[in-house]
Amino acid sequence: MSPEELQKMIEMSGAINMEIFYWWCTAVMILIHAGFLAYEMGASRVKNTLASAVKNILAFAFIVPTFFFFGWWIYLSMYNGLSPDFAAGAAGVPWGASMGPNLADNASGVFWAAFVMFSATTASIMSGAVIERIRISGFIMLAILLGSVVWILAASWGWHPTGWLTTKFGFHDTAAAGCVHMIAGWFALAVVINLGPRLGKFNADGSANDLPGHSMPMTTIGLMMIIVGFFGFLGGCIIYKTGAQWVTIYNTPATLSAFAFNTLMGFAGGVIGAFVISRGNPFWMMSGGLAGIVSVAPGLELYYPPLAFVIALVGGGLIKPLGDIIERRFKLDDPVGAFAVHAGSGTWGIIALGIFATGYPHIDAPATSFGGQLLGAAVMASLGFSTGYVSSRLLKSVGLLRVAPESELLGLDAAELPAHPYPESVSATAAAVRTGPTAEAGLSPQAV
Amino acid sequence: MSSPISTWDGATVYYTSADAHGLLMVWIALASAAVIGAIVHTCMHENKSATAVRNGNGKH
Repeated sequence: MSPEELQKMIEMSGAINMEIFYWWCTAVMILIHAGFLAYEMGASRVKNTLASAVKNILAFAFIVPTFFFFGWWIYLSMYNGLSPDFAAGAAGVPWGASMGPNLADNASGVFWAAFVMFSATTASIMSGAVIERIRISGFIMLAILLGSVVWILAASWGWHPTGWLTTKFGFHDTAAAGCVHMIAGWFALAVVINLGPRLGKFNADGSANDLPGHSMPMTTIGLMMIIVGFFGFLGGCIIYKTGAQWVTIYNTPATLSAFAFNTLMGFAGGVIGAFVISRGNPFWMMSGGLAGIVSVAPGLELYYPPLAFVIALVGGGLIKPLGDIIERRFKLDDPVGAFAVHAGSGTWGIIALGIFATGYPHIDAPATSFGGQLLGAAVMASLGFSTGYVSSRLLKSVGLLRVAPESELLGLDAAELPAHPYPESVSATAAAVRTGPTAEAGLSPQAV
Repeated sequence: MSSPISTWDGATVYYTSADAHGLLMVWIALASAAVIGAIVHTCMHENKSATAVRNGNGKH
């Protein structure tokens, strides 16, 4: 075998190994979506179980083609801000040579697929916050905007080898706490403001009623599935290089071993922090595991594991009080705590890196700094909130945001779907009895 | 619609219609229209369902 043939064989083996790695990362990431599905169904009352499921699955389905049409192009071309680099984006136009079967390109399809799953994750985060009262059509439009435009624009700015937040300010967010979790959490908050609370959530005096979901076990298992799926998500955040060390999205060196240490320490810290602060509430405890991982995600390859544990402990501990503030002070109805878990821990994670991991070098960019992280957090929060607010306000103004009160009271499954979640022995009526008279009293949407 | 390649030797881009830019645009337009159409259809279904519920004729 000649040296040239040997070189070619090594390169092809590397390309195929890379494909295999991202193929399975994508498959594992689908568990995130399955987890959110179970989580949302469990958090819904019986009468809305399937509507929540359908909504969640449709987000995934509509994001795939729209991310093909324009999402990937946005990522490749918008790294400078709002003026696209058409030459860089050429590889992502839907009619391009890389956007389909091509024997000279083993990378584009699997990278695109992994990014589609990140997109689906952002839409799923928003999905939970709006259950039981959003119109499916309005939700689909918001999911497309969030999943195929907003988050990927943020990724191009701060989760890209040449994104301006990194090249100008040294912003560092290895595992996408900003562009995925902060963006989705702030976007969801803005939508919730325009959407309003579920009927019966708040009383006239402003006090809140508990509207428990019909299956805490389903919600808890869903959250654990999300944790499993996160191993695919985090694997998709590292770049495979044939014959060389792994690198982050910023081309700085990293190892999967570092990811493994800090992912598990983050999970454990988050669970324990939330367990203590929520006094053992299983919903917040499992959400804490997710919040813990998100808290350490920006420095997943950098932290000393016990430090990651402490950062996650704080991140997990934050979410319950933050959820309470959102509900009790601001009178907002976020049934799954999407803002608290994702925006809260994402923001904390971005800033924590600026406190505990400053001075780490980048390639052709400033080193990590507190100021760079603070600016990045501000940009992510602003972008997520503003786009979520304007779009949902627009949908509200044309009557496409919220279902009719009669449909909401009847339950969205009975009103809109040709199926029932459970046998007749488990009925919406039974659920109504369980949730109590206040929840089903037919209060007007304005009754907050 | 014929194959854009006649041999696998040295083949790179080989997806259907790869050599016909206009046809690629047709497929993109059709797929886009299907996405938009599905959203419009969903919206209409929701409106009809809401009307039926309001009239006491929830059909499911």
